[in-house]
Amino acid sequence: MAMSAQVAEVQPRAQSSVARFALRTLCLLPLAFALWYFAAPLLLWPALQLVRTLAHFAFADIVRTVEQSGALATFVTTLQARGATQTGMITVDVNVLLYSFGLPLFVALTLAARERSWKRHLVLGYAALQPIVAWGVLADFLKNVAITAGPAVASQTGFGGWQREAIAFAFQLGSLILPAVAPAVLWVAMHTRFISALADRGLRPMHP
Amino acid sequence: MRRFLIVFVVLLVVSFAIELTPPAQAWLVTPWTDAVASASAALMRVFDATIATSGNVISSSATPFAVSIEAGCNGVEATLVLVAAMLAFAAPWPHRLRGIVVGIVAVQALNVLRVISLFYLGRWNRDVFEWAHLYVWQALIMLDVLIVWVIWVRLVPASPRAASPAGAA
Repeated sequence: MAMSAQVAEVQPRAQSSVARFALRTLCLLPLAFALWYFAAPLLLWPALQLVRTLAHFAFADIVRTVEQSGALATFVTTLQARGATQTGMITVDVNVLLYSFGLPLFVALTLAARERSWKRHLVLGYAALQPIVAWGVLADFLKNVAITAGPAVASQTGFGGWQREAIAFAFQLGSLILPAVAPAVLWVAMHTRFISALADRGLRPMHP
Repeated sequence: MRRFLIVFVVLLVVSFAIELTPPAQAWLVTPWTDAVASASAALMRVFDATIATSGNVISSSATPFAVSIEAGCNGVEATLVLVAAMLAFAAPWPHRLRGIVVGIVAVQALNVLRVISLFYLGRWNRDVFEWAHLYVWQALIMLDVLIVWVIWVRLVPASPRAASPAGAA
């Protein structure tokens, strides 16, 4: 009898701690979003450096340079658009915010967890999310030139059928899954002890 | 934890790849998306009689504004994430199945709220709509998935897990 009363006490406490955590995250999200939006040119600079490096080594034949203007990445390409009388060089703009909204989510989750090592988690999470952002931006660019722009431009890229399929998949993964899932997965991986406490169970002994 | 993460990522990538195939799109995703539009419109009609649907499009006879529910807004990807997380975590199958059913309901309920809120936000202000659509609701849906998963983990029966400590997936 005493045992069941104890269990009954523990369960609402755990439930309320999940609710408190969710509430703290919801309260922190607007602040994190504001910080992310206004500091985007600075915060997204490392991801764009990564995009530049990848474009230089992997797609040097189609990308001349990648310029940053605020949260916008502009790919200056070697590809040409041919009109009836004129020929123009193609540039592709990609909104980097589309692939980086996971940053404020990760920040809100990390601060809401109130762990001692929150600063280390923020730095590690920020660094780990940069390749995810770079993936989305690069896949968006490739999808634009290899698929959306049409056969006249796509034929200049030299991509074959399977490569266009791979680009389409990379774009879908980089836009629909990775930006939202990556911060949650990173947060879970960095907060196993906190989740164990929330869940009132031991995750560590289960998955050594 | 490492095993959980590996199984989760593999399940997620495989299920996402299957979701993108033409048969899955034709038989599952498109009907599901239309159902989300119909469910959202049915709820909206309770307080707004001008609402109409056509496939995945929700419109209003009172305004030219309409929304089309596309990939990423139909809750399918969020559902895949939740299902992969529940399958990857060591738990008895009955608990997994219950969690998947309740989890799908929880994710889709918030998704319907997202669709309804976006429709009215879009009618009111296009910039606010874009912000809510592209950034805020994406984060909220993933937060929903995370919270549902944590609650589900909390409810995993203790004894079968202790008996099979490495029984992930």
